[in-house]
This record gives sequence, C-alpha cells and structure tokens, in this order.
Amino acid sequence: MSEILDEIRDAYALWGIELVVATYGTYYRLRCGRCGSLLGCVGDRLLPTMARAMLNGQFDLYAAGLMGCKCGYQAERARAMDPERAEAAITNLS
Amino acid sequence: MTQNDGEFDNLGAAAEPKRDRGAGLWPFWPSVYAKGDPLPGLSCKTARPGYVFDEGDELPEEYKSLLMKMLRHEGERAGNKSFLGLMSTCLDAAETLAPTPEAKLLKSEYLAEELKHAIMFHRLAVGLDKDFALRDVPYAHYAFHLPKETWADDAYFHFLMDLNGAFHSRDWRESSYLPLRKISRTVERDEFGHSEMGYYFLREICSERKGRILAQALLGKWYAAALDMFGRSDSPNTPKFIHWGLKSVGNAEIRQAYKDYVDRKLVALGLDLPDERENRRFL
Repeated sequence: MSEILDEIRDAYALWGIELVVATYGTYYRLRCGRCGSLLGCVGDRLLPTMARAMLNGQFDLYAAGLMGCKCGYQAERARAMDPERAEAAITNLS
Repeated sequence: MTQNDGEFDNLGAAAEPKRDRGAGLWPFWPSVYAKGDPLPGLSCKTARPGYVFDEGDELPEEYKSLLMKMLRHEGERAGNKSFLGLMSTCLDAAETLAPTPEAKLLKSEYLAEELKHAIMFHRLAVGLDKDFALRDVPYAHYAFHLPKETWADDAYFHFLMDLNGAFHSRDWRESSYLPLRKISRTVERDEFGHSEMGYYFLREICSERKGRILAQALLGKWYAAALDMFGRSDSPNTPKFIHWGLKSVGNAEIRQAYKDYVDRKLVALGLDLPDERENRRFL
C-alpha cells in the first residue's frame, strides 16, 4: 500500500497539495501546501499511475482556478509548469 | 405525560417529528417512485435451483463464501472502520465543499441514512458470522478512493456510486438469502434517493457555464470508475452467484442497464458522454 500512497503523495506534491491522515488510515485529507486550507480527500487504493494521470488531466482546471485552493497556489503551480498551456486554459475556461 | 412508554426502536415513523428534512427536499426517492419504478427489472433469465436460506440455516460452503464476498464488497456495516472512514470523508466534503446551508443539510440526511444501513447490515452480519461483525474491510475498488476536490466530484460520487448500490439492491429482491431479500427494497430506494441527491447537485452545478465546464471535465474520471464498479464481464464467479441465487444477472447485463439509465440522465444535463472504453480498467 505504501508504494501507491507514495505515488499519490508525489503526484499531489507537484501541485503543492499535501496528504494528511484522516480519522482512519484508508482516506487522506488534501491540504493546500501554502495556506493549509482543506481541499478535499483521496483514498489510498487507487491503481498504479492513476493519481498522476488524473492530476495531469486536471491541469486546465487548476490553471483556470476551477479547482485548487482559493489562495491561488495550484493556479500558480500550473503557470510555473507550463505557462502557455496555463494561459490558454485561463482564456478558454474563464 | 412520560413520553417514554415505548421503546424508541419500536416506534417506527411515529418517532419522527413532523418537520421538513433536508431543507424540504429529503428524501428524494418518494416523488420519483410515485411516478413509477425508476429502475429496470433485473430478473434471472436462466434456469436455476430455487435455493432459499434464512438466518441460522446451515449454509453450503461455496454459498457462504460467495455471500461473504458480496457483503465484504458492500461494506456498509457499523463494525467496519473503513466504512466509517469513508463517511468521515463525506463529513469533510460537507464542511469544506458544500456551497450552501441547504446542501449541508442534505448531506447530513444522507449520512444519517447510510448509518441506518450500517445498522441493518450489522444485524445481517451478526446473523451470518459473528466474527464478521467487527471486521475491518477497506473498500478494495478504486472508485471508492477517487479524489474529491470539488463539489462536482462529490455530486458525481453520489449520483453514480450510490446508484450502483441501488442497482445491486434491486438485484437482491430475488436473493436466495432471506435477510438480504428483506432489506433490499429499503436499501434500494434509499440508495436511489442518494443518487438523486447527487443528481440534484449536478443540475445546480451545470446550470451555470463554469460549473458545466467543470462537470464535463470531471465526468471522464467518474464515468469510467462507475462502469468499472460492476467488475469484469467474464468474471468466473458470476455463474456461481447466479446458480446460488445471490445474483440474478451477470456483470455485463447489469452494467449495460446501469449505463443506459446514467447516459439518459447525463444527456439531460447537457453533458457529452465519454467513450465508454476510455480509462476503463475492468471490461
């Protein structure tokens, strides 16, 4: 289980999101790495490669602020990762 | 006036104060069922023995093994810590993602009803195998572990995953295990209502442009998981489940019936349907 959990943790770390153990260990809270706001939750039984693929698929949503923290940290991450794609997402989705 | 002459357990509906629940919207199922049965029939079309087993009966080894497998997968059990963990994530979602006080109230009704199921399945579990009552069984399917980072994620979770529960409960109407057959209608209508709650949230989300963009973008993740929830179409256990009367139809048939229902509802929201094979893990 720890390999998958590490994979999920690493995938979220790219977006500045931390995993915090919830009340019982199967599920984790997602917390903004900058302001500490609670952003949602994830479980630890995703299949291999799933977490990173899903988060990559959400790039445009993070970039345009439709997902991610209100403080804007994930949108900033998107711009840092791929400025052109982030700009296009903001134009298309805003 | 003592007000405590009877046991609360036995008061039934009389114990419920007469007031609106969930901002007057809860429960969602009665108005839909009043218009007719919303779910497709899932009757067995193959000849099989007419087994019937009740609590306390000696169960054939294979039968008990399959029944336990089914109940482990179902998971809604008071003694299952992982189920309570899943419910706690629903509380988190209500606290952090719910857009309105009304939405929070609806989620609280949802949680109360799932905890009612947990008691129902607890009693069923104790009657089947006392050691099972307190067994922690983490949900094995990835669909129960998908990230929920938006209210739309949570709405999809309810619309699609609770509907899966409703379809399986419908299948239990003909179950050879009587304790399961007895609770099947209640669980079915409740789970259907939870799905309708998710759909209600999705309708609100899709009513404005940004929400519809978000819902469309997230649909692929949830749609694939929802179809995967029914397992492989060629699962070697399916004929055994059907033979013993624990299921009435195979995985492919129930998945198709579910997909037909879901597709109609998604199209009504103005969403484009994903390719049914995209991102699938269990075909």
